[in-house]
Amino acid sequence: MNIISEKIIDLDGGKTRMEAAYGSDDGDEDLFAITAKREASIGTIFEQNYRPWDGDFGPRWIRNYAIFRHHVFGLFTSKGHRNYNPFIRLTILVIFIGAISPIAMLFFSSLFGSGPDGFIDKMWGINRSNLWGQVLGYFPRNLCYWPLLTALVVGGMISDDRRNGTSAIYFSRPVTRTDYTMMKYLSVAVVLGFVIIFSYMSYYTLAIVFKGEGWGFLIDTLPMFLAGLLCSIALVITYTSIGLALSSISQSRFFSAIAFLSIIYGTKLVALLIDLQFDTSILYILSPYDCLAHFGQWMLGLELNYSHSLSLSIVSLILMNLVSIFILISRVSSLEVTRE
Amino acid sequence: MSDENKVPSVLVENVSKWYGQVIGINDVSLAIEGGVTGILGPNGAGKSTLFKLLMGRIKPSQGSVKLFGIDPWQDTSPYRRIGYVSESERLYDWMTGQDFVSTLARLHGMTRNEAESRAEHVLEFVGLYDVRHKEIGKYSKGMRQRVKIAHALVHDPDLIILDEPLHGCDPIARTSIMNVIKELGNQGKTVLVSSHILEEIERITEQIVILHNGRLLALGNIYAIRDLLDKHPHRIMITTEEPRKLANAFISEDPVYGVRFPEEGKLEIQTNDLSAAHSVLPRVIVESKVKVSRIDNPDDNLDSLLEYLIGG
Repeated sequence: MNIISEKIIDLDGGKTRMEAAYGSDDGDEDLFAITAKREASIGTIFEQNYRPWDGDFGPRWIRNYAIFRHHVFGLFTSKGHRNYNPFIRLTILVIFIGAISPIAMLFFSSLFGSGPDGFIDKMWGINRSNLWGQVLGYFPRNLCYWPLLTALVVGGMISDDRRNGTSAIYFSRPVTRTDYTMMKYLSVAVVLGFVIIFSYMSYYTLAIVFKGEGWGFLIDTLPMFLAGLLCSIALVITYTSIGLALSSISQSRFFSAIAFLSIIYGTKLVALLIDLQFDTSILYILSPYDCLAHFGQWMLGLELNYSHSLSLSIVSLILMNLVSIFILISRVSSLEVTRE
Repeated sequence: MSDENKVPSVLVENVSKWYGQVIGINDVSLAIEGGVTGILGPNGAGKSTLFKLLMGRIKPSQGSVKLFGIDPWQDTSPYRRIGYVSESERLYDWMTGQDFVSTLARLHGMTRNEAESRAEHVLEFVGLYDVRHKEIGKYSKGMRQRVKIAHALVHDPDLIILDEPLHGCDPIARTSIMNVIKELGNQGKTVLVSSHILEEIERITEQIVILHNGRLLALGNIYAIRDLLDKHPHRIMITTEEPRKLANAFISEDPVYGVRFPEEGKLEIQTNDLSAAHSVLPRVIVESKVKVSRIDNPDDNLDSLLEYLIGG
């Protein structure tokens, strides 16, 4: 970088003489004004030396990975990645610790030699109810952890781009709207999956390790584990679809987050009130959580809490996902197609 | 010449864009290849709409847009060869200039090392090398504009589209950015730069496209366009101590069809043939023996050109 011109205004050593407009010559010879700066730079113009680049561009997956890593790695460092508020990072950490807390209990159980009928094992050991509860238990996971986690992650995922016009950063590059949508979706799903699915898998694996279980136990419980895994994947997909759809229709992080929480809690509450009042569980098909819970109970062979048909819950779940994805796609397609 | 070279970088054919009842662009056709082209027009003329159409951010209601022969709405591959600086996009203020440019370089598929190295170079090119590790949020307006240009250049595009790149910049930043744009043009790249401030474009290029109310008013060299406007008179303003004597000498000359005295000590010569009028000018002045202190062509700037074209 070569400086080709630089001009400095030297204001006479920081002092300049003031002339009195109507004064006489007597007595005003000592009047001075002190300037704020001794020197005032008026700037620098740089010589431009442009060097073409003759490298090869990577394929589509490398570009898509750049979008993915921008969003996911941002949870750990905002240097070169998406900037998550420290409060969001802290909350996600707390949720993750909460999600893996049964592992600590099983660890203590192994230390203290609690048997299979002990309190800790009944509460946190591997069985149908606990595998279901690790993913679909209402308190605290689906009352606090998962909805809050989803709301925090999806909050500004697309709405920030919509508000700031930063989608232009992607669309002015060889990134298609399909790639953009898919990578946003994948980023959210991976973050949710990291907390929900990883904690579930860790719980199952470490429970076996801590309790010193053998192959027989593994073969006995693996189908249940896989059923729970399928439920956790369904939960991640459903929450991601609904959350991103809400993020795509809004220009506000707050709206997306609050709208998601409202849908999860609101539908559950309305269905619960109707159930209590009229003794029918049919309105639970409007609640994403309850559809998942219903499906999960059936998958894990638990007694069903719902009186309506399982098919209705599954159809409702599929419809919720389809409608959410349709909204997401149509809103991303119309991104930037607005009057400036 | 290869087939690729026969295709203009930008080809817009009968493109219209309506926003409901509002017309953004109305039946515009143009082809642009090489060098710096200024897109001129007052606010609301359709400059940003044209750029958004080029960048595939909005779909034309009618007509077709092709970049390097490809419709960008259908296929995003031309964007490998295009750098775009939008007027209003916000930046990632928490990132440093270096991180921002290298992050976006990776959206083109560059490796980490390539992106870092290339980001350093383009930041140096736009004069931000010394502050590349400073957060963008702490940049001045001129620095923000330059970092936007840097991110548009990081993949060495053949076509660069700059929407109001000088907007809000101080004079030093303007000069730097203008030098950058001129240098890119000198490198043989196709550069489209929009502005509603005419002097800015005049300092960068003579090749212009003029838009008004979504319509294409003129396209080509500013002076050639001006010469085509025969129905509008050209003026030559002469500052002299004896305007009436000089007017008497000029009025009999063929290219001159009228004279005016707009103010004391000034003579305005009206002509439909500026070149012919200029060719007789020295002889008439010498023969009249009148002292002339200054000669101006007030119609030979973009302001008056736009004024004429839009009937102002």
